Amino acid sequence: MVTEQLEKVKEYVKESRVYKSMFRRGFEDTPRNRVLAIMGNVFLHLHPSHVKRHSVKLTHTWCMGGITFLLFLVLCFTGVFLCFYYHPDKINAYRDMKYFEYDVPFGVVLRNMHRWAAHLMVITVWLHMTRVFMTGAYKPPREFNWVVGVVLLVLTLLLSFTGYLLPDDQLGFWAVTVGTNMARATPLLGHEGPFGEQIGATAYNDIRFALLGGSVVGGNALLRAYIWHCVAMPVTAIIFLAVHFWRTRKDGGTSGPL
Amino acid sequence: MWHNIWKIASKPDNIPIVGMLFLVMFFGVLSFYLALKNDRIRAAAASRRKEGQPKAKGDVVDVIDIMYPESEQGLPKKISCWPHLVKLEFICAIAVMALLMFWSVPIDAPLEEPSSPALTPNPSKAPWYFLGLQDMLVYFDPWIAGVVLPTFIILGLMVIPYMDVNPKGSGYYTFRERKFAILTYWFGFFVLWVIEIVIGTFCRGPGWMFFWPGQEWDPHRVVAEVNINFNEFLANATGMAGLKSATAGLVIGIGTILGYYVLGMALPYLWLMRRNPVILEQLGFIRFNIVGFLFWTMMALPIKIVLRLIFHVKYILVTPWFNI
Amino acid sequence: MEENKPKEATEAEVKGVLEHPKPAPPPGAQAERSRRGFLVKLGWAGFALFQLSWIVAFMRVFFPRVLFEPPTSFKVGYPWEYTVGVVNTRYQQQYRVWIVRESEGFYALLAKCTHLGCTPVWWEGENKFKCPCHGSGFTKEGVNYEGPAPRPLERLKISLAEDGQILIDSSLVFRQERGEWEKPGAFLKV
Repeated sequence: MVTEQLEKVKEYVKESRVYKSMFRRGFEDTPRNRVLAIMGNVFLHLHPSHVKRHSVKLTHTWCMGGITFLLFLVLCFTGVFLCFYYHPDKINAYRDMKYFEYDVPFGVVLRNMHRWAAHLMVITVWLHMTRVFMTGAYKPPREFNWVVGVVLLVLTLLLSFTGYLLPDDQLGFWAVTVGTNMARATPLLGHEGPFGEQIGATAYNDIRFALLGGSVVGGNALLRAYIWHCVAMPVTAIIFLAVHFWRTRKDGGTSGPL
Repeated sequence: MWHNIWKIASKPDNIPIVGMLFLVMFFGVLSFYLALKNDRIRAAAASRRKEGQPKAKGDVVDVIDIMYPESEQGLPKKISCWPHLVKLEFICAIAVMALLMFWSVPIDAPLEEPSSPALTPNPSKAPWYFLGLQDMLVYFDPWIAGVVLPTFIILGLMVIPYMDVNPKGSGYYTFRERKFAILTYWFGFFVLWVIEIVIGTFCRGPGWMFFWPGQEWDPHRVVAEVNINFNEFLANATGMAGLKSATAGLVIGIGTILGYYVLGMALPYLWLMRRNPVILEQLGFIRFNIVGFLFWTMMALPIKIVLRLIFHVKYILVTPWFNI
Repeated sequence: MEENKPKEATEAEVKGVLEHPKPAPPPGAQAERSRRGFLVKLGWAGFALFQLSWIVAFMRVFFPRVLFEPPTSFKVGYPWEYTVGVVNTRYQQQYRVWIVRESEGFYALLAKCTHLGCTPVWWEGENKFKCPCHGSGFTKEGVNYEGPAPRPLERLKISLAEDGQILIDSSLVFRQERGEWEKPGAFLKV
């Protein structure tokens, strides 16, 4: 009796104009529906409709690229939530960390997830690269996609690095100080690098100054790290990700050249 | 001893390093296992073909065939993404999210005291994924270790597809067909990058001094070590005091570095000329030199480590503007 | 190319199609074309120049004009507050400087390792500055003697202010390897 009623409701919903405007295929497991499931969905159509049989084997792909993208999404998601409470200035930044720790509902878990997902993403990117290398998946015609992948690897490391400064604690401060001090030693562009001084570089006009917005890791540096971390680099990464996925798909997916 | 190791390994920020080490080793073994298995299957099939035997069940015709176990040989080679691939991705996503949850609830992200420019923690370390670069600072000046070598790492990775002219091994695991490429990759990735990170984490204590795992980190330990430049080392070794002058150092330094690259490219060239001229033809002159340059730049790190740790050589080349 | 041709086309015909002579250009067209080519090039050059100047302008944005950093010139008390032979670390936190009182006078060392800019620590018992980052060691005078530091610590300009206090100007540094420690300002005689 109840089942009958439910069946009727289901039928009604599936026949309604609203439902039909959103979903255009049935649920019968037919080859046509399988294709439509992929092609009729903006997210799923990153995939081709068919792939070679071996490319869905876990031992072949390790699923590392997919996991990396998942972690990127997790980081975007938790990052947006962290942004609701965080102020990128010298007075508030550290205070906000304590706020997360003791006051913000689920603040601790949010921050933990953001950090551990970031660390995990660095590892999965390396493993993805290793897998791609070991299966020779960078060989023609997919050379350029490997280059895009290397750009994404560098962006991952830089995203992680800029995020390191944001809590404004001793750990991040000194990691970034040591890191950016290497920029001082850039040949020609840094004031302590080879030939830097000879062409007039000082602590106030070299590349480190441009990165930090000052001669010390201070308020400007915090704000710049924040903007790079939350806006500039994620947007860049998304653009490169789009190219990366699109080219993977056009060049035959993970299964090798078509 | 174990107490000390545990103290370092259980620091929240070091957990990923321990995880990474095991993950990299696991997947490294897995990839070599798959590669060698493929090689074995294909070699067996090839030898059967050569002896004129009939094609056995599961024999390899197309290289991609090695991907399938015998039970799947007759099936269509393409399958639909929905549900096969999407299902797998979904399960992977759930597993990773579960791992992340179980990791994030009990283990807190580290937070130290508020930043203070006047108090440097000892040791103060870069984020773990850059510890390899930080450890290189022991052997090279900052402009090399912090700028030039990372640039070469990135550029070197980017040019891999354009340097690797070997058409074999595209889309499947193999070792036999790409020995040089794979060994170079694992040397650079595992031996230089991953092991340097592990050393930077577990063996570098206060003052960036080297401590064996388990050794107590004593900031007041004195390391009696006098490092000399390469020309002084040569002078001591040969007994020619004249080599100690700055001019001699300049000449020896430039000569050594030039000789290193020139010989490093010329000797393999001659060797390949004799053994396998086809590879040289495929590579071409420019590509051969780029590969040689990047390869020997990578090898400069272990060579410099050996020179420093065993012969206490500080710089190869000393100039008024920069040292190498 | 050739696979796309219809089957009946013979080789000669295909060749003929491919090598079909272009109509002779009307007189003056050569000049016209080169003029147009020049204008096109000029247009693209202007576009590239425009883009380039914008890139340079955006690069300039990264260099701020005004800095809100601690003042470079500051007073560190009266000379009689200092004990002979002792390294004063009282101003390390605030100004990142150590003031050393010798029997002949004073000098100020910038508390910044010459390797990668960490802040070394003064170890009274071992009579040295030790950098925690990569283990560089400096003598009390600031001379590097162990670890990766490539040169001695920098000394800052030190003088007496009008009110008799010691005045340090951290924007003016003196580097030993250039013989600048002998210059006036690197050492305050009393």
